[in-house]
Amino acid sequence: MVRYLRLLRLFFRTELQYELEYRLNLLLEIVQTIVVTSTSVAAVLVLFSYTTVLNGWDLGAMLVLLGCFYLVQGFGELVLQPSFEKFMEHVRLGTLDFALLKPVSAQFLVTLRNFQVVQLAQMGLGAIVVAVGLSRIPSIGVAEAIGFPIALLCGFGLIYALLLALSTFAFWFVRVDNLMALYWSFMDAGRFPVDVYPGWLRVTLSSAVPIGVAVTIPAQVIAGRLDPLGLGLLVLGTVAAFVLASWFWRLGLRSYTGASA
Amino acid sequence: MTEAVVDVRELRKTFRVTEREEGLAATLRSFVKRRRKDVNAVAGITFRIDPGEIVGFLGPNGAGKTTTLKMLSGLLHPSAGEARVLEFVPWRRENAYLKRMTLLMGNRSQLVWDIPAADSFRVLQEIYRIPEQQFRDTVKELTELLELQELVHKPVRNLSLGERMKVEFAAGLIHSPSVAFLDEPTIGLDISMQVRIRRFVAEYNRRTGATILLTSHYMDDVVALCKRVIVIHRGRLLYDGPLADLAERMAPYKLITATLHDGAASSTDLDAYGTVVSREEGRVTLRVDRQVAPERTARLVNDLGSRLADISVEDPPIEEVIDRVFTSEQTVVSA
Amino acid sequence: MYRALLVAQIQAASQYRVQSILWMLFSVIRPVIFLAAWVAVANSQGGQIGAYDVRDFAAYYICLSLVSNLTMSWNAYDFEFEVRMGRLSPKLLRPLHPIHYSVVENLVWKLTTIVPLGIILVFVSLTFDARFRTTPAHLLLFVPSVLLAAALAFFSGWVLATLAFWTTRVHAVSTFWDRAAFIFAGQIAPLALLPGPLQAISLALPFGYILGVPAEILRGGVSIPTALQLMAGQAIWLVIFYFAFHRVWRVGVRQYSAVGA
Repeated sequence: MVRYLRLLRLFFRTELQYELEYRLNLLLEIVQTIVVTSTSVAAVLVLFSYTTVLNGWDLGAMLVLLGCFYLVQGFGELVLQPSFEKFMEHVRLGTLDFALLKPVSAQFLVTLRNFQVVQLAQMGLGAIVVAVGLSRIPSIGVAEAIGFPIALLCGFGLIYALLLALSTFAFWFVRVDNLMALYWSFMDAGRFPVDVYPGWLRVTLSSAVPIGVAVTIPAQVIAGRLDPLGLGLLVLGTVAAFVLASWFWRLGLRSYTGASA
Repeated sequence: MTEAVVDVRELRKTFRVTEREEGLAATLRSFVKRRRKDVNAVAGITFRIDPGEIVGFLGPNGAGKTTTLKMLSGLLHPSAGEARVLEFVPWRRENAYLKRMTLLMGNRSQLVWDIPAADSFRVLQEIYRIPEQQFRDTVKELTELLELQELVHKPVRNLSLGERMKVEFAAGLIHSPSVAFLDEPTIGLDISMQVRIRRFVAEYNRRTGATILLTSHYMDDVVALCKRVIVIHRGRLLYDGPLADLAERMAPYKLITATLHDGAASSTDLDAYGTVVSREEGRVTLRVDRQVAPERTARLVNDLGSRLADISVEDPPIEEVIDRVFTSEQTVVSA
Repeated sequence: MYRALLVAQIQAASQYRVQSILWMLFSVIRPVIFLAAWVAVANSQGGQIGAYDVRDFAAYYICLSLVSNLTMSWNAYDFEFEVRMGRLSPKLLRPLHPIHYSVVENLVWKLTTIVPLGIILVFVSLTFDARFRTTPAHLLLFVPSVLLAAALAFFSGWVLATLAFWTTRVHAVSTFWDRAAFIFAGQIAPLALLPGPLQAISLALPFGYILGVPAEILRGGVSIPTALQLMAGQAIWLVIFYFAFHRVWRVGVRQYSAVGA
């Protein structure tokens, strides 16, 4: 475990060194992130200029949710998107083989390998928005303070599991960019609490494309609306999703290496 | 008797491919009913390799060399048969096995392109858990052998093809494997780089005693490095034995191609020099016995004088050698 | 001339069927997301915000989605790619302005995606019980309005794209443009509902004239005289960008050839 953490740090550091060389690029990316985040906040403010509560969410809670959205999306773009894109390229070009021959978990080596460090800015801004939202919430208990990071990590885990499952199709269909693009477009729905959406969409965003759950639940926790049972279910659900997706990925890998079924 | 490093028995690999003719009608038909064909990439091969050997796998494209290598390195599961490398079953890909072997593929890169090779080495050090001192010593040695001093700190994408190959080699050997599988290591490289790589492989084997299995469709690679050669054709093992015997026995001739200025090739009678194999506008190709090739070449140059525009002397193409091995009686010589 | 290009493009389009559908979904997903949000806001205020009740919002966003699809233009991305890959040069050598390829490609895509989009929108309309206030006069005005909007989107997109002659950072500029459109085009809220100063700005900028204006005309949300005024605004912006494009293109091509195409 320690070893994997060390490896992660190494992957991160090497990428950071590389990105730091392109200072202008870095700067522009950060500016872009600021623009995107602030316009999203503006959108929320426009909505709240007409009301003080939206489906039970007040402005503070709403901002927390938006912040969580950028935290989760930022995490996805920090390490998941670059890694999975690279993975699909490897399958296409046949360079996946090298990852399979290293004495380290192939899944780890493939899915957490590539970072786009500048996306930390996205996560940072998300955290700021969360902080701003929290400042408007009267009190935060210890339970909430503990539950929040747990729920957030579960959110990261759910998105990881989903992307893992989606990208597994690359073993059979080689080009799954379209599938991934479809997925990312649904991600946009995470900017609002999952309960504002009509039935069928809400269900989708809680299961097949769990962005709704991944973002809404952490926000609910910190705003004091989630019970321990719900949080427990989330944790179990995340673990189950992770195990299932990993199993599916390994299945794809076996097919790739011609292991008999 | 020493334990074999590589022990292969009746190894087979069959791929299922779907066949489809061109045209719209065929496309629609294949939608409904797919026509499948079984391709025997590797059709039952058996051989053993002892520690420290450098063995060459020769064969034309599609012969099954790469597939065999992939099975031995652990990337592919065989359809049938057994193989052991260093006492491991390769396709189980146990970590203990992976730490002691390496696979280098000529036209595929395992390095991250944007960062200097030195950084990739560090990542590999962590992955293979190489102790610091051993790591430093190995890097130093490889840098020396491959002349990497200027290259390791540049981003890989800025290196030329040949330089990249050298760095890939270093990366592949950084964990001091006892078995190295090299798949077409010199493909796409210019002659001088090919020579350098060959020299490196020989030296590496000498210094470390690593067992090396290399595939190539360049005869020169094999000639330079391998005392023993295994010829594979259409998934079958056709020859396993000393290299020296193979060429001499199977294809004891050379091809001399003379290009004439005045296009008089068609009328010039060159039968005296050798068997005419082909005649095209201005070019004649002759087949002569290996031993007499230099002498015949000299005579041609002398006799034709200024009419000669170009002359080349070549080994028979590998496919011809293989064909001859194939059509003659199959001889499997154990090492 | 257009005929030949058209035929070629239709053949190409059938290859990219899946991707076409994907892009089409982009025009639907975001409007649906914001529709859900506004419905929630309206419900918290007794079902009405300004001149819009829930059914009006539904109608608006359906119209917005349709207009979004009909005015979508992706020139900037493609063009930058072509310049970078050196594919532009052969096109410049042909006696046909590159923009014509773009026009045809654009048209074909819109024609192929309009039907599946229509089906989805009917479904959304039924789900939310949308109410359209469209009169025949509105429909009549909608046709030129959406054409103006599409042309405006097209040429403004091309002006942006032409920047690729000078910089590789077109992506950054596109982001600013897109985010401004996010706020001012009528996506986050119908233009009439934007808070005072924002609304004034939106009428001065071109973005609203691309999406919000034709959408409202189609919905029947503005009176005929107002519609005509707004269409005048569309025309003005179109003229501005049309000439801007010609200017910028000429200068750009000169500069491009000077540097060495």
